[in-house]
Amino acid sequence: MKAPLDRSRRLGRVHATMSVPAQIVVDQVSHLYRPPRGREVLALDQVSLDVANREFVALLGPSGCGKSTLLYLIGGFLPVETGAILVDGKPVAAPGPDRGIVFQHFALFPWKTVRGNILYGLERQGMPKDEREQRALDFIELVGLNGFEDSYPSQLSGGMKQRTAIARTLAFDPKILLMDEPFGALDAQTRGLMQAELLRIWQRTPKTVIFVTHDVQEAVYLADRVAVMSARPGRIKTIVDTKFDKNDPAIFKAKAFVEKVDEIWNLVKDEAIKAQGKRT
Amino acid sequence: MKQFIRYLPLLLLALGWELAARLELVSTTALPPLSEVVVAWIDMIKTGELVTNGLASLYRAGAGLGLSIVIGGVLGIAMAWSKPVNVLVAPLVEMFYPLPKSALIPVTVIWLGFGDGSKILLIFLGCMLPVTIGAFNGARSSEQVLVWSARSMGAHKLRMLWDVVVPSAMPELLNGIRTALALSFILLVSSELIVAQMGFGYLIGYLGANGNYDAMYAVVLTVAFLGFAADRIYLLITKRTLAWRE
Amino acid sequence: MPPDGWPEKAARFTYIVVTRFFSIAVLLAAWEILARSGTFTPFQLPALSNVLLRIWQDAVTGDLAINTALTLYRALVSFAICAVGGVAIGMAMSRNRLAHWFFDPIISVGFPMPKIAFLPVIILWLGVYDVSKISIIVIDAIFPVIAATVIAIQGIERELLWSARNMGAREREMLWQIVLPAALPQIMTGLQVALPLTLIVAVVAEMLMGGYGLGGAMMTASRFANSTGVFAGIVEIAVIGYCLVKAMALLRRRLLIWHQEANEPTTA
Repeated sequence: MKAPLDRSRRLGRVHATMSVPAQIVVDQVSHLYRPPRGREVLALDQVSLDVANREFVALLGPSGCGKSTLLYLIGGFLPVETGAILVDGKPVAAPGPDRGIVFQHFALFPWKTVRGNILYGLERQGMPKDEREQRALDFIELVGLNGFEDSYPSQLSGGMKQRTAIARTLAFDPKILLMDEPFGALDAQTRGLMQAELLRIWQRTPKTVIFVTHDVQEAVYLADRVAVMSARPGRIKTIVDTKFDKNDPAIFKAKAFVEKVDEIWNLVKDEAIKAQGKRT
Repeated sequence: MKQFIRYLPLLLLALGWELAARLELVSTTALPPLSEVVVAWIDMIKTGELVTNGLASLYRAGAGLGLSIVIGGVLGIAMAWSKPVNVLVAPLVEMFYPLPKSALIPVTVIWLGFGDGSKILLIFLGCMLPVTIGAFNGARSSEQVLVWSARSMGAHKLRMLWDVVVPSAMPELLNGIRTALALSFILLVSSELIVAQMGFGYLIGYLGANGNYDAMYAVVLTVAFLGFAADRIYLLITKRTLAWRE
Repeated sequence: MPPDGWPEKAARFTYIVVTRFFSIAVLLAAWEILARSGTFTPFQLPALSNVLLRIWQDAVTGDLAINTALTLYRALVSFAICAVGGVAIGMAMSRNRLAHWFFDPIISVGFPMPKIAFLPVIILWLGVYDVSKISIIVIDAIFPVIAATVIAIQGIERELLWSARNMGAREREMLWQIVLPAALPQIMTGLQVALPLTLIVAVVAEMLMGGYGLGGAMMTASRFANSTGVFAGIVEIAVIGYCLVKAMALLRRRLLIWHQEANEPTTA
C-alpha cells in the first residue's frame, strides 16, 4: 500500500484539504511547447497539484520552469493535451469568468479609460447599466484609484495600471484569481505596497488564488502554500506550508519567516543554477 | 516545396491569365495571352529596344536617386546637428513634404525640356524629402547619447558627427531611402508616360498607341518586376549593413 | 488663469511664428524678386503675383472649384475604398489561412512594384473615365493599408486577447471590440501613407487622361506653353496636399487620444 501514499504526497493532499474536495485539481499534466521555429520543449512534465477553496497558493520557480504555462492551462487559454485539469469537478475547456487572470504587463485595453476597462467585463456578463456603473466605482475605490476613473492607461504609472487590472478582474467576481507575476514589472517600492494591498483586498473578498512569481519572499509572505518548481522540464519539486500572520507588521523580521524564506531559497537556488546552465 | 506553395497563388494568377485569354473569356486585344507577351518580350530583347530604353530609364532613376540620397542625407543630418539650419529648413520641409510630387512633372519640363534632365530633376526633388526626414529623425534620436559622450570624451565635434551621429542615423536613413527608391520608380514611369522620347514609360505609351498590346504588357511587367527586384536587393544590402545592430 | 507667465508665453508664441514662417516668407519673396528681375524669362519662372492672380481668376470663373472638387472626389473616393477594402483584406488575411495563403505573395511582390506602370493597361480596359482613374489609384494606394493591417493584427499581445475572452467576449465581439481598436494605431499609419499616394496618382492619371481636374488643367496649360497656369496648378495641388495631410494628422490625434503618443509633448 505504498503507492497511493506516494501519489497523495505528490498531489499535495497531505494537507488539511484532504477532507474537503479540492476546488482546482491538476492531475498529471504535461505540456509540449512548440515554438514557430526550432525544437519542441517539454514545458511541463506530469505536474499534479490540488488547491482548496479560498486557498492562496504560490507557484515559485526560475524563469522558463513552466509556471506561467501551468497558469494559462488552468485559465483555459492553452489546451490541456496530456492529463486533466478540473475546476469544481469539471474539466477546463475554455477561458471563463469563473477564473479571472491578471498579467504581468497588465493587458489593459489602452483605448478604454480605467472605468471603461472595468466596465467591459461587467458588460459582457450582461449586468444592467446602473448596477455595473456602481460596481465599477466600488472597485475603483477598493484599489484606491479615485480621481483616475477617466484616465487612460497610458497616463498611469505601473502600479496604478496593475491596480486597474486587479480591479477589472475582481469586478466580475471570479471564484478563482490567477496572477501571472503581477508585480514583476513594478519597481521595488511599488511592489511592496502592492503586496500589502493585495493581501488587504484578498482578506476582504476571499478567493482562491494561484500566484506565479520568482520572488521567494513575496511567495512566502503572500501564500498559504508555496509550490516550488524545477526547471525544464517543469515539475513540482516540493510544496511548502507558509502560513503566517500576514497582518503582523514585523513579519519580515520574524525568525520563523526568515528561516522559511531561507529554506525555500535554498531549494530554488539549485534550480536557478541548473536553469542558467541549460539555457546557454 | 514550401516556397513553391507560398508563391503558388502568383502561378495560379498567371495560369488564370493565360486561360482567360486563350478561351477568349476576355478580348485578346485587352488581354493577350501571357505566352504571347513572353514571346514579345524575347523579341524586344533581341532587337535591343527594351535594353536601350531600359538603360535610359535606369540612368535617370539612378542619377536622381543618387543626388537625392547625398543631398537629402546631408541636409537631414545638418538639420539635426545645427539649430539654425533646422530653423531655416524645417518649415520648408514641412511645407513641401505633402506636395504630390507628380505635380512637378510639367514644371521640370518647362525648366529642362523633354530629355534626361527634367526626369532626373523630378526624381531628385521627389525623393529628397523622405531621405531628409529619415536622416533627421535618425540623427536626432542620437542627440542625447552624443552630447554625453562628446562631453565625457572631449572628442572633436566633427569626429563625433562621423562616429556617432551618422551611424545612429543609419537605420532610419536607410528606411527613408527605401521609400525614396519606391518613389523614384513611380515618378520615373509617370513622367515618361506623360512626356518623353525614350525610356520604359515612353515605350509603354508608344506601343499602346500603336495597338501593339502584347509588347506593351511585356514592358509593363518588366518595369513592375524591376521595381520589385530593386526593393529586394536593397533590403538584402541594408540587412548586411545593419548587421551590427544585432 | 493667473496672468503669470504671460509675457514669456507671448514671446514664445512670437518666436515660433517668426521662425516657422521666416524661411517660407524668404522663399516666396525670392521667387517674386527673381521673376521680376529678369534673371529668368516669364516662361521659365512666372512671378508669384501673376500666379496668384491667375488662381484668383480661376476661382472667380469657377474653374478652380470644379477642378479641385473633381480631383478631391477621385482621390477621396479611392481613399475610402482603400481604407475599407485594405482593412477588410488585412483582417481576412489575419483570420483565414486560405486568404493569407492567397494574398500574402501578391502583397509582398506587389507592394514594391511601381503599379503606376499599369495605368495604360487600365485605360485599355476601362477607358479614360473616372472608373479607370479610381481603379489605378486604389491599386497603388491599397497596399500600405493591407500591409499595415496585417502587421498590426499580428502585433497584438495575446494577453490582451486572453483578457477579453476571460471577461466573456465572444469571437464576433472580439473583432470589433478588441482586435480593431488594438490595431488602430498602425492601421492609421498605413492610411497616412496611403492618402498622399492617392493624390500623387490622381494627378498623374489626370495628366495622362486629360479633361477636368487639377492634373488635367496643368497639362492643358503646359500644352499651350502657359507656365503661369502650370505654376498655379502646383500651388493649388500643394495647398490641397497640405490640408489633407494635416487633416489626417488631426484625425489621428482625435481617434488615438488614448495612445501613448497623444500624451507626449509634440515638437513637430
